[in-house]
Parts: sequence; C-alpha cells; structure tokens
Amino acid sequence: MREAIVIDGLSKYYNGFLALDKLSLRVRENEDVALLGPNGAGKTTTLKLICGLIRPSSGSVYINGVNVAEERERAISEVGTLLETPEFYSFFTPEETLSYLGKLRGMRERDLGHRIREVLKLVGLQKWTNIRIEKFSRGMKQRLALAQALLHDPQILILDEPSLGLDPRGMVDIREILKEAKKKKTIIFASHLLTEVTQICKKVAIIDHGKLRFYDDISRLKKKYRSLERAYLKLTEGAI
Amino acid sequence: MSEFEKLKIVTRYELLKQLRRKRFYGALALTVLAQVLTIALYKGLDIPGKIHISDSPELFAIFSTSITTIAIIGSVFFSGDAIASEFEHKTGYILFPNPVKKITIVTGKYIACFIATAAILGVAYLISAFSLLGFYQSIPSGILSSLAIALALACCVLSIAFAFSSFMKGGMGATIATLLAFIMILPIVSTSLVYAGYNPWFLPNYAGNAVTATYGLQLGQVFGGFGEGRGARIGTPDPVTSFIVLLVYAAVLFQISIWLTKRREMV
Repeated sequence: MREAIVIDGLSKYYNGFLALDKLSLRVRENEDVALLGPNGAGKTTTLKLICGLIRPSSGSVYINGVNVAEERERAISEVGTLLETPEFYSFFTPEETLSYLGKLRGMRERDLGHRIREVLKLVGLQKWTNIRIEKFSRGMKQRLALAQALLHDPQILILDEPSLGLDPRGMVDIREILKEAKKKKTIIFASHLLTEVTQICKKVAIIDHGKLRFYDDISRLKKKYRSLERAYLKLTEGAI
Repeated sequence: MSEFEKLKIVTRYELLKQLRRKRFYGALALTVLAQVLTIALYKGLDIPGKIHISDSPELFAIFSTSITTIAIIGSVFFSGDAIASEFEHKTGYILFPNPVKKITIVTGKYIACFIATAAILGVAYLISAFSLLGFYQSIPSGILSSLAIALALACCVLSIAFAFSSFMKGGMGATIATLLAFIMILPIVSTSLVYAGYNPWFLPNYAGNAVTATYGLQLGQVFGGFGEGRGARIGTPDPVTSFIVLLVYAAVLFQISIWLTKRREMV
C-alpha cells in the first residue's frame, strides 16, 4: 500500500521557539492515525505544516508523493481539512459557503448542489442550509467545518480536534461519521480524547515537546503499557 | 481548473460578501448624503458669488465631483480588513487549505473591493451628471476624465489598504493605518512640500486632487490660497501625470500586498 503522507525530519521554529523537532512519520493509504500529546506538544503545528499553512524551518512533507512546500495546490487537492476552530464568513449561509469552497475545488455546479445537501444532512445541518452563519453556535460551526472537509470527498482527512465544542450527541455523531469515513479514507487527526482515539484509529503518534515519542498500533501500545491512558501519561511525563 | 476560473469564483463570492455588509451601504449612504449636501450648499449659499467666479457647469462639476474622494476613502472601511480578517478571524483556515494560489485570492478580493468602490463612485458621478443636466442642461466633457482619475485613485487607496492589511494583525488596524496615511500623513508631507516651493506631483493625495482638475479651471483660483503673496499656493495637478502616478502606486503596493500575503503564515 502506498504512502499517503510522508513527514520527513520536520522542524518548526516560532520566533526562536522550537515547536516541532525533526518529526518523521509515514502514513499509508487508508490508515487512520491519531496525534496525541499535551497542549503545545506540536500537534496542530504538524497538521498546519501538512496543509502548507505554515512553512517548515527544515524537513519536508509529501502528500501522495507531492512536496507540499513546492507544489502546495497540487499536494492538497485531495485533502479535506478541519483546523483549529475555524470561523466562517458570517454573511454567508452554509449553502453559499460550501458552494464557494466546492467551486474552488473544481466541483461541477450540477453535482455540487446534490453533494452540499448530502454533507449538510450528514452533519445534521440540513435545516440550516439557508440560514446565515452569524446565527450559528460554536458546535454548529464545528459541524459545518466537518461538512466542508468532506465536501469534495477527499482521499485524505486532516482534522484537528474535530469534536471540540460539540455536545455529547454531536461528539457521537462526529465519531460515527469518521468511523464511516475511515473505511475508504486516510485520516490523521489530533485529539485529547483517548476514547475517541481508540474508537476511530488503529495507530497513534504521541508527540511531546515537538518530538515524536511513540508511533505504532494502539494495540501494541496497550500491550506494552496496559492501557492507552497509562501509555499517554508515561510518554508525556513532566509535560505541562 | 485554471487560476483564471478560480479568480472569477473568488471575485464573485468576495463581491457577494461586500454586498452583504452594512459597511458598503454605509459608505454609499454617506457618499450620497455628502454629495447632496455639497450641491445644496453650493446653490443655497451662492458659492460662485462668494468666490467671485461666474457660475458655470465646470465650476459646479468641480464642487460636486470633489466629494468623490470621500467615497474612495470611505471604501477603506470595507477593504482594510480584506486580508487581515482571514488571519484575525480564522476564516483563513477554511479558505487557504484549498488548491488556490494566494495571488488568486488577493487579486479576487482586490477586484471585488474595486467593483464595490466603483459602484459607489458611479452613483456619485451619476448624481453629479444629473445635477448638471438639471441645473445647466449640459455636462462638461471633463467629467469622464475626472471619473477615470477617481477610479485610479480608488485603485491606489485600495492598494494602500491591502498593503497594510497583508501584514497587520487586525483589519481595524489596517483600516486606521490607511486612513491616517491618506488623510493625515500624506497631506502633511504634501502641504509642507508646497510651502517649501516644491510641486508634490508624485504624492498620491496630491495626484488624487486631479479629479477636480479636468474641467479647465485653475484650482488655486477656485479654492483660493492663504492671501496675497503669503502662504502656499494651491496648485493644479496635471490630470495625465496624476493618473499615471496613481496607477503606479496602485500597481506597486498591490504587488507588495501579494508578496506579503504569500509569505504570511496561518499561525
């Protein structure tokens, strides 16, 4: 199986602060990998580097063999993202927002309308299609963010705490969507929720202070440390 | 899909965004109000009589179109945050991870802001034109050159706003910086240069005054100076030179804003 994402010796400094330290990671096609780590460990930085939203201080990221730094637009063409807690243009409705993003991704007008209805139904926003986003709660925006990530049916999903800001039902809904999506997509997502991680992913990458501490199957990790929680606490010991 | 197709999409949705904002209608309402007020005061206070110049369509056009610079500066309110807001309000997390070049995004935003500004300018010039027809039954040919310079001035002001917006943290900061540059710093520099006996033809605010210099009247004669032989004389900017100066500023500052936006990270 070919490698969907290759992270090779990736480092990132923010004004002299080392946020990511020579991180290397390989994610195969259709694999689902969770990035775990304490706050400030470098998870979001890693995801932003994969999407080309920030430039690496050193190292490279390849998506489907394409170097993100050299050909960002081509590299991310098959990627759907949900990063940080995104905001939307409050004057637009979900339909207009998705229509804008879908067209930018080259989706045909004919298919786009059908697909917009489909993803809005999937995330439970079908009744809000034509309501301006300025009226949306944080949870609803998070659902919409997931809808835009899924809109063009990308091969790869990059998600940063996808259930952040959601109520328990919303969390379950998102989990179910991701469980379904992982059957045919490569997923790499950052989360603090260990239960969510075990339910969605087979592999886990534990990052602490910008360094990769562990990268393997969750089952192996559990075997070694008896539980994911114990492993997490052990591998991120002393982290603030 | 070509970048040109993407540019059309960005422009269309950015324009829709502008048309949904209250700021656009606020700038439009202010422009109409300012123009109606200027025309009413021109006629009501008999301005030609007060400045001892015989009333003419050209003189009326100078007063009625001079207000268009306010419309352009007003456009800063909906262009200052064009780029900065993507970072400040985190909407960039939705827009930038799409396979579209930043140059396309910035250009689309610029074109949308220009269309919105041009629409307000169009309304302002239409009011001038209809007033001229109503009061004098003729429209001076200089009004078209004036409109062309006003559009060049709009490009210049938008480029200044975009340049600030591409590196400043907040949209409000970029808006204020643009306004300060255009209504405070540049006028101080140009006035000082005039006092010192230099012709500040190369400054965008001075070049912008050329919107009223296309009617064949000397602006010094119309707007007066500071008395006989003392103070600064009000010069009349050359319309062609001013038009070129404004476009050069617009092009250079727009390039700078593209370069800065390309380098800016979504931290």
